Formats: sequence, C-alpha cells, structure tokens
Amino acid sequence: MQTAITPTTAFSTVQAKAPFEFKSAAHLLFIERERASSIDELLRALQSCPEESIFQHTFRTLEEHHFIKEGFSNDFAHWAYTELGEVGLGERLASLDVREFTSLAALRERLVQVVEEFASEHPKSRERTAPMPFYFCSSKTIVLQTQRHAANLLEFIDGLRQVSLHSIHYHFIEARLRRKLESNDFSIWLLRDLGLERESVLLNHIDIYTSTLEGVRRKIIQILQNAVH
Amino acid sequence: MQDLGRPTAPQPDSSSPAAEASVRNAQTQAGTPAPARERRKPRISETPPAAPPAPRLADYESIIGKSQLDELRFVASPLRGKRVKMVNSTAMGGGVAEMLNRLVPLLDELEIKTGWEVITGGNDFFEVTKAFHNALHGGEFTLTQQARDVFMLHTEQNRKRMSFDEDLVVIHDPQPAGLISSKAGKSSHWVWRCHIDLSHPNRDVWSFLHPMVEQYDAAVFSSPAFARSLAIPQALFYPCIDPLSEKNKDLDEKYIQEVCDNFGVDRSRPIVTQISRFDRLKDPLGVIKAYKMAKKYVDFQLVLAGGGASDDPEGAVVLKEAQEAAGDDPDVIILELPPWSALEINALQRASTIIVQKSLKEGFGLTVTEALWKAKPTIASAVGGIPTQVIDKHTGLLVHSVEGCAYQIRYLLTHPEFGAQLGRNGREHVKENFLMTTNARRWVMLFRILSSSNA
Repeated sequence: MQTAITPTTAFSTVQAKAPFEFKSAAHLLFIERERASSIDELLRALQSCPEESIFQHTFRTLEEHHFIKEGFSNDFAHWAYTELGEVGLGERLASLDVREFTSLAALRERLVQVVEEFASEHPKSRERTAPMPFYFCSSKTIVLQTQRHAANLLEFIDGLRQVSLHSIHYHFIEARLRRKLESNDFSIWLLRDLGLERESVLLNHIDIYTSTLEGVRRKIIQILQNAVH
Repeated sequence: MQDLGRPTAPQPDSSSPAAEASVRNAQTQAGTPAPARERRKPRISETPPAAPPAPRLADYESIIGKSQLDELRFVASPLRGKRVKMVNSTAMGGGVAEMLNRLVPLLDELEIKTGWEVITGGNDFFEVTKAFHNALHGGEFTLTQQARDVFMLHTEQNRKRMSFDEDLVVIHDPQPAGLISSKAGKSSHWVWRCHIDLSHPNRDVWSFLHPMVEQYDAAVFSSPAFARSLAIPQALFYPCIDPLSEKNKDLDEKYIQEVCDNFGVDRSRPIVTQISRFDRLKDPLGVIKAYKMAKKYVDFQLVLAGGGASDDPEGAVVLKEAQEAAGDDPDVIILELPPWSALEINALQRASTIIVQKSLKEGFGLTVTEALWKAKPTIASAVGGIPTQVIDKHTGLLVHSVEGCAYQIRYLLTHPEFGAQLGRNGREHVKENFLMTTNARRWVMLFRILSSSNA
C-alpha cells in the first residue's frame, strides 16, 4: 500500500543539493617528550609541545571522556585542579571552550596566556609541585569513510542515529579546526544544501560541556525532528 | 565545576524504593552483630578447566555497537593481506599471553595474517631474563658479563631458529628484545611492546637493552609514566580487558547466587570486595582496617578474594596476617582462590555493592578495569595506572589513606544513587578506552602509521 505524502514528510525527503557523507576519525596516542610538575614547567611545555598535543589534551580528551557531563573540560584544567591543587588555575583553564577556536595555534596562545596571567598574579603558586607530573601526549588521526550518506533530512536523521560517537565528534566538534570556521559540518550542510538556516544556528547553540556526547547526539536529532514536524 | 573537597553527589532518591531499602539496610544495622553463617568449602575445580574458544569479531557487536565494529573494519581494510608476527616469551600464563590469545584471532579476522611465536631458552636464560625483569622494575642487580653472554647466546639461537619475513614484527617485553638484529636489511617495521614499568630501571640493565630498543621503529608503553626518553616514537596503549572472557562476561543471576551461597556471602546485605593476590602491596590489612572504621557507622560484609598464598611464601604470610586481623568476625570473608577461578571472581564482583582496590603500589590495575566494566562503584588508591581509570568523583573515588577508604565506603553505602552514577560512567570509560576491541584498533592504527611511513 502506498503511503500518503504529507507536507512534512515531503519536506523531510526534499533532496539536498549534495549528499552528506558521514565520516569518522580514529586516533592513536603517542607519548611526547614534554612533561610538567609545576606551573612554570607547564608554561614552557605548552609553548614547545607539538600542536597535536594541544589537540589531544583539549578537543580529543572531550571525546575520550564523552560520558562525563560536568566538571571535565580539558586535561590541563583537570591536572591543575587535582594534581597541582590550583583550583583557581583549574577554573580558568576549564572555562576555555574549544568551539571558540578555529586553529590550534590560537588555542595554544590562549592557554599560554591563561597560565602566564595566573603565574604572575600568584607568584607563590610557582613553587608548588604536583606529585603526578602532566605527561604531554599527542594524537595521530586517520579519517574514515563510513560509507553512509544522506540525500535528505530523513536520511540524515537516520544516519545521526546510526553512526558512532567518534563520527559525531569528528563532524560536530573537530570540524572547526578543519574548516577554520566557527561552525560544524552538520550546520554547514543543513544551511548550504538544505536551506535550513534556523536549525543550522540552533545546532551551534548546543552546549557540549554540560551534556554527554550521546546527549549532544540526542539534542541534534531533536532539533531536526522538530523541523520535520 | 564541582567542589573537590567532598563528593557533590546527588542525594539518594527517596522516591526510589530500592535506594531507600539499601540506605535503611546500611544504616540501621550498623554495629549489630550478624548471625554466624555456615562457611562451606568453595566448590572449585582442582585443575584448570579447558579454555573456551576465542570470540569472533561479530560477538563484540552487542557490546560496542555495529558502528564501532564497522569502523574497526574500515581502519583495518588497507592492511588486508599484510603479515604480522608477534613474539613473546611464554605461550601460557601471564597477562601478555592472555592478551595475545585474544588479539591474534581478531587481527586474523580483520585479514591481517598474524602469527605468534614464543622464544625458547634454557633455565639459565630465563633466570637471567627474570632478573632483568626485576631489575627493570628498579630492583638491585649486578649485571655480569656471564649474564650478558647468556642473554646474547639464547637470543642468537632464537634468531637462527625463527624467520622474520613478515611486514610487521612486534616483540613483547625485554626477553626477546635482542631479536631486533634480524631487522637488518629488511623493509619490515619492528615494534617493541614494553608491558612493564621502566620509570626507574636498573641503570646497567637498561644501558644494555637501550641500544637494542633504539633500533626499533616504534615502542609501545602502557602509561606515559612507564616510558623512557627514546629517539623513536612511543605509542601509548592502555592495557585492556576482554568483555567476553570468563572474568568479564555477563553471568546468570542464578550462578552469581550459587557462588555467593558457596562462599557464605549474604546478598541481602551490602558487600564490599577487594579482589587481589595476598600481597603486601595490595594492602589487605589496610582494607580490613578501613572495614573496621566504616563498620561503626554502616553494616556490610567485606570480601577479600585472591590467590598467591599457595605459590608464594610471602603470600601465605600475608594471608595469615589478614586472617588474624579479621579474627572471628563472620562479616570478613577471606577467600584464597586458585588461578582458574575467573568465573567465581566475576560472580563476586557482580554481587558486590562496592569494589575496593587499596593498593600501595600498582601497575595499571586491571582488577579496577574489571570492576568499572561491571558498573560497580569503585574506591581505589591513586597509584600506578589507577588514576587513568578512576577519574575522581566521575568514574570512581580515589583515596590516599585507610581513613579515606573508610570514609568513602560509608559515603557510597549511604548514597547509592551517586554510586550508581559513578558505576555508569566507569563502564563507559572502559568501553571507550580499555576493551580488547580498542586494543585491536590501536594495533591496526599503529600498523597503518608505520606502513605509510614507507611511502
């Protein structure tokens, strides 16, 4: 029996100008030379470490800890908090939102600035050493084709449900480094290829620091389902 | 962000009958002596049972999901037809052999033809390599010329016996490290997988091995803290557990009950468990002290279960001391189990309300990984690899003293909702980072990165 085409289903099956290709990313951790046991050492290491280390300890750690929805933002903040015992520095580092950065160089600059400011305001803190050093690691990435495509909104929602959380992270969070834009792959496709401006903007308002990555996936789907209905 | 001084846990949901019953049970029976229960001799086979067949890749789909399994296949696909050789020093017993038993079939199934060979040697060789192992962990050792000669002689014999025509060769641990001289003139890639902590090695032994290690294309360590400064890339592979092994697979409720009945563990009351060898570094006496401190406020049983007393004279002493410290308290249940008690340990972990790992020193701490995988609220010392797994107040609780351990036992027994949240996060953490499938993916990634460096 043929299903009656309603206005909403018709809208959700409108063909996109170009299909969305779901990709994902696999990462492998490497141990770098830099390590820090004090604020001064952290500062020096932040200045000299490879960009892949900045990526690992900020963007990538969010993916590794995607199930935590409060109190975990990046490895530098966590270490300052729990190992160095510098709650103030931990709070300042934790307040950095990776989505405000479209390059790792800019993010490094900001991290250095935060640590420098804290160190100059709290000279006594520079004498403090952590029992457990901060070990700098880096991440090597391989991008994967998932062979899943979406030609319309319904297929896109279905794809969002099926892909791994690594794929969500790749398109929704890591994308801005690749695109050098304060947006993400989903919003860009929704606007450019389906003309969904409102939904494109709404997706960028989702708070990734107060949700798990699974929660972020649900919120994206909810916004798009609201558009369908 | 949370205040770090004290767990900012959600209060127990008084609308939840289960939570209410658990709290009431824990609080009202504190200090009340429990009736003595019959202690039966556990029914455990006296010989190891036959190993079950290794799982297939598809068996993991229900655990990690189709998308993650597909991704593993995608990452591996460019390596189809490549040949890999794994070499270690033992085919049975020990964590490395256990891991290879699972990893090799998975890589094979990904169409990466993976072989596994074991080096041979006389008693003199294994005495030297055992001494090297202890020395690399920081123990005292005088490296004699004779020890060097024995090591090199057996390395040479193994080198002549084995062929290395594969595309990738992985050498596990120091015993076969000298096989690297077979790499000369070949285009293959060689990886040294070091499973031990090299943070404070005996200088002479490390100076002897270091030039061999530097000839590899990459080294792999289990923690950044275990690594050395090397000129070659050093990858970080966390140790892992197999969710389908007897130690970790899901169990029938009936079987869990049967094990508890056999061991005299009362499941109607809270159970706090530490699974560990009877070894001073696992601090069983500290756990008993923490039990006694917490027991003044909350009612629970303590289960200390593990092996190591029958094949280790010091283990027998530690077991005796633990039994003496427990005295005639029927709520302290001390179980000495044979090495093939994986199913029983699994059942005890699943029956537990809280799992403790109060080690004074630790490697990675795979018993913690097992506890987290079972979604158990876990209290563990901040030593070795434990803080990588237990993110304080997110995936478990870290402690630094007997007093801290006692307090957190009281806290979790009276705040079961917070414990449940820790347990859920802990399981997710293991699923993302410490499962056999993640380990397979790391190997595949490393092989791809090394293979592409040829181009």
